[in-house]
Amino acid sequence: MSLRNTVAKWSIWARGLLLLIVSAPFFFFSAAPARSKTSDATQPVPTVVEPNAKLVIGGEAIKNNSMGTLSVVGSSLQFATKKATVDVPATTILDIFTNEDSRQDITGAAKVVTMAIPYGGGRVLSLFSHGVDVLTLEFTDANGGFHGVIYVLPQGQAAPIKKQLVAMGAKASVPLEEAAQTNK
Amino acid sequence: MKTHARTTVSVIFSIIFACTVPLVGQPSPDDAKSAQKFSVSSIQIQPMDPGDVPIPPDFAVSVYENLIVQVQKTGKFQHVYRSGDKAAADATDLVTLRTIAQSFNKGSQKKREVTTVAGATSITLKVQITDHTGQMLVDRDVQGKVRFFGENLRATYDFSKKVATIVRDTTF
Repeated sequence: MSLRNTVAKWSIWARGLLLLIVSAPFFFFSAAPARSKTSDATQPVPTVVEPNAKLVIGGEAIKNNSMGTLSVVGSSLQFATKKATVDVPATTILDIFTNEDSRQDITGAAKVVTMAIPYGGGRVLSLFSHGVDVLTLEFTDANGGFHGVIYVLPQGQAAPIKKQLVAMGAKASVPLEEAAQTNK
Repeated sequence: MKTHARTTVSVIFSIIFACTVPLVGQPSPDDAKSAQKFSVSSIQIQPMDPGDVPIPPDFAVSVYENLIVQVQKTGKFQHVYRSGDKAAADATDLVTLRTIAQSFNKGSQKKREVTTVAGATSITLKVQITDHTGQMLVDRDVQGKVRFFGENLRATYDFSKKVATIVRDTTF
């Protein structure tokens, strides 16, 4: 009886060992993607992201007045639409300006429709506007050519981007604190 | 019968071939036209000089970028160089376009649209085009404005359209 128990125990151990040997490669290979995920994590992750940005002018490959996502990725300022992406390395930036402005709430085709409202109703609607931040950059391309680009962002969003870019080596003739004071 | 048809086709083909081959070597009328078109092949556009006029940086950048686009659209130059572009150094017949601020009035889109008569945005710049020896080819004041509808920056578009017309009409 005890001999049978011993044999049964050994067989359980043997099965466990066999299972361990068979499953070891699976553990090994399943660990590999996890490592590659870690390496993905070392790739630049956007630190400042603004999904409601408008490129007013200066995006070579992107049409003027396109909406897109403006983010600081790695050491570059990136503006991405569904069709194209424009990168401006922070070290190529010669100057950054931020200022506040206002934009009408009703624009485009809806604006044309409001003109038809009788008794000056369209004019009354023009009174409704919202504050925005304007971010203006001056930078050079690989040939040394001077470029300028203007973005319009929701209010209060330009300063963090400027701060981040200056920290990464971008030049700014107007310091951030001073810009914040003048904006007030 | 078949052989006769084949011979006819081959004769027609060789006649067409003989007629077209000499034309290939000749410049097309379009080529000749473009050769005449570019008496000066390159222009370099400098950023706006604000002088003593307090112009917001977004207006200055917008003037420069609009000028690049509008001058390119004229089709008068093979190369439109940006300021600082190293490739411009090799251009022998380069002309340079400079803009110097004269006056600026930042109006208000809201005022324009509510009152119609007030709130116009206007920007006046001196436009100078010089050749590679420094001789002045164009020296004019140009005003860009947005009077009724549109954002303030549209004044810079209006300005650059007017400059493009001057460039188009000027013989270099």
